[in-house]
Amino acid sequence: MPHSTARLALVALLSATLSSCSREGGCTGEYCGTVVFASVGEPETLLPAVVQSGAALAVSDQIFLKLADLGPSTNTVGDEDFTPLLAERWEWEGPLTLAFHIDPRARWQDGQRVTASDVAFSYDAYNDPRVNSPARAPLHWISAVTVRDSLTAIFRFHRRYPEMFYDAVYHMRVLPSHLLRNIPRDQWQTAAFGRAPVGNGPYRFVSWKAGESLELAADSTFYLGRPHIRRLIWRFTPNLQVAVTQLVAGEADALDVIVSPDDIKRAKAAPTLAIYPYRSASYGFLGFNFAAPGDTTHKHPIFADKDVRHALVMAVDRERLALSVFGEYGKVPPGPMSQLWAIWDPETRGLPYDTAAAARLLTKQGWIDSNGDGIRDKGGAPLAFRLMVPTTSGVRKQYARLLQDEFHNLGVDVQIDEVEFSVFLERAQAGKFDALIQTWNTDPTPSSGMTQTWTTAGIGQSNYLRYSDPAFDKLVEQASAAFDRTEARRTWRAAMELINQDAPAVFLFAPDYVAAVHRRVENVSIRPDAWWATIRNWRVPPDRLIDRDRVER
Amino acid sequence: MTTWLVRRVAASIAIVFAVVTFTFLLLHLAPGQPFLPGDETPIDPRVVANLRHEFGLDQPVLVQYVKYLGALAHGNLGESFALHRPVADALADAIPNTLVLAGAALVLDLLLGLALGVYQAVHAHRLPDIGLGYATLFVGSLPTFWLALFLLLVFGEWLGWFPVGGVVDPVVHASLPWVGRVADRLWHLALPALTLGCVGAAGTARYQRAAMLDAMGHDYVRTARAKGLPEGRVVLVHTLRNALLPLITLLGLSLPFLLTGAVLVETVYAWPGMGKLAADAVFKRDYPVVLATAVTASTMVVLGSLVADVLYAVADPRIRVRA
Repeated sequence: MPHSTARLALVALLSATLSSCSREGGCTGEYCGTVVFASVGEPETLLPAVVQSGAALAVSDQIFLKLADLGPSTNTVGDEDFTPLLAERWEWEGPLTLAFHIDPRARWQDGQRVTASDVAFSYDAYNDPRVNSPARAPLHWISAVTVRDSLTAIFRFHRRYPEMFYDAVYHMRVLPSHLLRNIPRDQWQTAAFGRAPVGNGPYRFVSWKAGESLELAADSTFYLGRPHIRRLIWRFTPNLQVAVTQLVAGEADALDVIVSPDDIKRAKAAPTLAIYPYRSASYGFLGFNFAAPGDTTHKHPIFADKDVRHALVMAVDRERLALSVFGEYGKVPPGPMSQLWAIWDPETRGLPYDTAAAARLLTKQGWIDSNGDGIRDKGGAPLAFRLMVPTTSGVRKQYARLLQDEFHNLGVDVQIDEVEFSVFLERAQAGKFDALIQTWNTDPTPSSGMTQTWTTAGIGQSNYLRYSDPAFDKLVEQASAAFDRTEARRTWRAAMELINQDAPAVFLFAPDYVAAVHRRVENVSIRPDAWWATIRNWRVPPDRLIDRDRVER
Repeated sequence: MTTWLVRRVAASIAIVFAVVTFTFLLLHLAPGQPFLPGDETPIDPRVVANLRHEFGLDQPVLVQYVKYLGALAHGNLGESFALHRPVADALADAIPNTLVLAGAALVLDLLLGLALGVYQAVHAHRLPDIGLGYATLFVGSLPTFWLALFLLLVFGEWLGWFPVGGVVDPVVHASLPWVGRVADRLWHLALPALTLGCVGAAGTARYQRAAMLDAMGHDYVRTARAKGLPEGRVVLVHTLRNALLPLITLLGLSLPFLLTGAVLVETVYAWPGMGKLAADAVFKRDYPVVLATAVTASTMVVLGSLVADVLYAVADPRIRVRA
């Protein structure tokens, strides 16, 4: 028998064995759906207090609930747009005191009641330096969480500010004190509980095969309503291309983010898939280092000059670049912001695309092409800089080449440094670069992110460019403290117009992301700050069940 | 023989020690740091500083090295920075997957390579030999990841005959009887093993053809033919048996190839083996996992080489005498 024939026979045999062995036809009715997610990242742990990655949050948020969550508007100011979860209601007892009333129906998945003690325990754990929670910093304005009775937890704050409620509920998931109390806090990072958690949410943990898959099962007794999707399975893939391949091949039902136009085209061409565009939480920019590379005590020889920065910003046709890289899903931000933020305002003034004006500015500053090599120079030094991008980002590598062309047309020589992601971050933090293309994933609110990444207080943290303007700092502070939304928007807009005028960066993209989900799944909606937030409402109608949905475990 | 074996084992231990030392130094000399946020979310630097302190990365490199060696001597591979679990657990999950993949690929490599080599030698300098010669040269020259992507595209995505990734089907696997589970595993193993096995077999076939042609020119083969033995017996018993020695050497050399090739194949097919574990760890600067995979891989390679040498000595009395 020729080898190829033998192989085909083997495939046929295996396929037949598999199909005859699977016990299909088991589950019928409303609560049978199985959704397989292709996931590029794998959770590091499922213990929420020490979770860092989005991949881990997507899973752990099915198991653990917050007291309340953002509503569809994603408004973070005040409490009126929040949806109750573990807390059935809440009330303010003065300007600095907030009382949460736990839903008496809420239960841990081992049958114990969820109590106010669990809430106080959770706050204490998140705030404990030994746990080293990434969510600790946003809780710093909360002075204490105490227990009034078994179902009432009291939050007290150091000061009054517009996003007190958001800080109280958004970052912290309520943890089971009876299961975690005896685990030493300095061992939470690697605690076994994090690989087999017991929660209070709509899904229970079933299994986790490292590097392969993770499965959750719907809790049929969940007090806010039994989830329609019976099984959630995450299949871990090494990269986005493999994830898209699994999706198109029908081995996965959903993928949360597809970025490149080619991959989006592949997903759109698959007849079984529905496409869901949504506002992404990320934005990207070409940032200019204000300090000399590797020497933060001196100004950068080129970028310290505001006119040069203006010229570089005005030389970039950002709309064309976004269209070229992201296709119809590309958007140009009106400042350092993601689409998630309510301060997104296309009317915000920025520098125009005007290559003639850009050229005039450089000439005015003495940058002329004196030797006819196509590159401007001044005092014998060419107008040249190195642009750092991480090798892991196809988008940013593409942008770097396009920008290189645009700047070359202006007489500016740009050399691209493609470095590995870890090296990129290390050099960015140390200030060892001329310019870089950076992206930030943001929270739903600009208050903390803007301070960390663009104000003077962020230097030494995430303000890698060392941009500092006291007037901008003041506007950010005022905007973050404004209770009146109109006033807040006006102040934020003034801050954005000021930073656009300072031109510390070329704000390049804030794209729409695209999720793809199998067409048989209904009620799919994507909340931009947390795509996974509404999974418990997804359903597969009984008449659209496929073999995968019926398999009994 | 015993003295030779002891010397050989001592040399193997020294090699593994050298690999650990060089890997440790290279990791710490290389740019990049662990605990940096993977998805570019602004992170409180205090969180990173605390983690560095917790894992002893704020101590001098020499102190870290001595502590690591001490722990390693006690069989403690440490805690993974990125996986939040003991490195030994992560390896225990990954090594069986790599061994299954490498083992299947090796069997395919040897069987296919042997068969092709013998067939080519028997038809030497004729059309089948020339055609297969070009074909094996072509396949052997293909980058492993390219072949992996090609097979994935054709047999996984277009034809849908094989799964496009993973070790098992996570939806049905647990519900299958044992026969079904085995079939499920084999079904998922097919493409990755075929990729690694085919590239290896192309090289093996060329070695085996040369060894067969060499053996065919010896007097004992001529004698066997002169005695009137059937051609099949001449080829398979008298010639092949004597042409197997190079294959044993190749067996020892195949292990490093399979382990390095597995890194790429595991990535393309989402196969959660040691290669993928090591590659992820390198990008995340997960020092304990990188070191542990280096120790494991080097141990496997020196063991493979040792086994090949011993087999060689067993198969060839001349080598035993020299040893």
